[in-house]
Amino acid sequence: MQMHLQYWHLLTHALVVLQSRYDMKVSIKKAFQNLFKEPQTIDYPVSAIDKPKGYRGIIEYGEEECIYCLKCEKVCPPGAILFIHTETPSLNLKNKKSLEYNYNQHLCIYCGECVRACPKPDEALWQSEKKPTIGLKEDRVNDSWFEIEQLKNSK
Amino acid sequence: MSKKTINIPLGSQHISLLEPVRFKFECENEKIIGVDSDVGFVHRGIEKACVTKFKYDAIPYVVARICGLCAITHSLAYTTAVENLLEGEVTLKAKYLRMLLVELDRIHSHMLCLSHVCENGGFEAMFMQIMGDREYIMDIQEQLTGNRVQFDFITIGGVNRDITNEIANNIKKNLNIVKLKVFEYIEEFSSNWSLSLKFQNIGKLTLDEAYSYNAIGPLARAAGIFTDVRSETNYLPYEDIGYEIQVGKAGDIHARNFIRLNEILNSIQMCQNIIDGLPQGDIITKLKGKPNGESIVRLEAPRGELMYYLKGEGKSILNRVRIKTPTFSCIPAFMEVFKGSNYADAPAILASFDPCLSCTAK
Amino acid sequence: MINKIRSTLNTIVKDIDKFYDEKTYHFLTLNGVKIDEDTTEIQWIFSKYNSINEITILYCLVDQDDMIPSITDILPSATISQMEIVDMFGISVEDTKKGLYLDVDSQQMPLSSCGI
Repeated sequence: MQMHLQYWHLLTHALVVLQSRYDMKVSIKKAFQNLFKEPQTIDYPVSAIDKPKGYRGIIEYGEEECIYCLKCEKVCPPGAILFIHTETPSLNLKNKKSLEYNYNQHLCIYCGECVRACPKPDEALWQSEKKPTIGLKEDRVNDSWFEIEQLKNSK
Repeated sequence: MSKKTINIPLGSQHISLLEPVRFKFECENEKIIGVDSDVGFVHRGIEKACVTKFKYDAIPYVVARICGLCAITHSLAYTTAVENLLEGEVTLKAKYLRMLLVELDRIHSHMLCLSHVCENGGFEAMFMQIMGDREYIMDIQEQLTGNRVQFDFITIGGVNRDITNEIANNIKKNLNIVKLKVFEYIEEFSSNWSLSLKFQNIGKLTLDEAYSYNAIGPLARAAGIFTDVRSETNYLPYEDIGYEIQVGKAGDIHARNFIRLNEILNSIQMCQNIIDGLPQGDIITKLKGKPNGESIVRLEAPRGELMYYLKGEGKSILNRVRIKTPTFSCIPAFMEVFKGSNYADAPAILASFDPCLSCTAK
Repeated sequence: MINKIRSTLNTIVKDIDKFYDEKTYHFLTLNGVKIDEDTTEIQWIFSKYNSINEITILYCLVDQDDMIPSITDILPSATISQMEIVDMFGISVEDTKKGLYLDVDSQQMPLSSCGI
């Protein structure tokens, strides 16, 4: 009885293979070809990646051309640009309320809405192609921003 | 003597599970007879944040971060719904660029789902191969918009960046390479033992069940319903660029794989037609006014149908934003498919549904 | 094009039964909109197969302590939408348990106090 069952299994197996609608020919050929190809991973910090043109980097500010209209602050979705009152204002004639520009590059999402809303987009505010810096603990990145937000909300 | 049943969880920690979901199966001797589900592990309160904290022109950036794989469709659906309540019209060139990105997103999302199905069937070499070929699509997405996953490309009134001749040539070159590879995948999916014999007649959803449980997306099309949102709406001109609906018959895992492969081929053809026939014009127009009234918009995400409902009263903060995601309305259909199958097939069935739990528990 | 049909809490199940046919209409979801301090508007949203841009909404106005009848006999896929209304608005629905998204010790009924 046991041997009959084994012959039956062999027969159905052979019928499936001989039918040659299902087989492993394509997979075996591809597995053999893959033995001689080099891997697709790039070991990143050791070898460099090439950045494409038009990379979205940090926002840079030219203070002499700014007219202090505050449109960039109203339009930013996460609130990464804040203008707060300062005791030592700049010598710009348009700075009537003694404000100072503050930018947080770790809250920014690099969408570019502030550059599109600015009336002078290439002279006062523009988007560069530099990568943001790493936030280390000793720079007190979060706590210094929370202090700026407190000054803004208390006005 | 009544038969005893035991409860086995397919828990929130499992070796083959990519998403945070928990199912509790009531099994009798390896066959599943009852299902209980829990989906709220990543609830973040986005619907409440959209009506209290953000103004109506910052919400396209908030809503795109609900999900990583269908980011562009959330952003586009909200923007279309708000543009219905403002005054002005979007140019034809902006609509063509929006459609180009939606179809590229559909290609890379279907490739990710197919590779996960292969891994659950035991064929790990194919999983690595499909993921490696997906990099051609991520490269052209990075050249076009600046990012690989979160695009930030769509804004109220049009799109943000324009397309140059060099980018258009790169897109056509990469799409031709991917098309040859997809033909090889179709040959393997129909002749290899572990991808074709193993998946037939497992996880079946019949046509009557699909009608009564309101199934959507590739799940419904594989069972035989002729439903697709791209042929039931007219905000975007899909019939001008060669869209065709793909419908199967069997309703099991094998049929769903083939629906996804055929949709990838159709999307590649549509992208090439868009680049050949791109009209001239501006990419952004300024729309006036504040949103006032009600509007409903439906779009086709890679997993099904997505719906947005907005209500505004003339101020800059909206009154109600209701988001209905595709996996959310398919959960009753999932629970029906599990009943009657073996417990050992449960991870493979779950991977072929393509669930996206960040969309469900928003 | 959206057409809205008004109904009341007692007759909503009969109206949906008369209106809905499995092969013509597709059920999308349930939705709730807050009108003022005490009233909420609950909507049942349907769309039509094989036609362009046709959406029908049946709606009714309820108070905070009413009980909404359940329609899972006609529409088996409405179970999860009803659980979301219970969690977000705090209005109870027949035969539905709480706890889809929110835990016991978190803020309850978040959407019942905004949008007014």
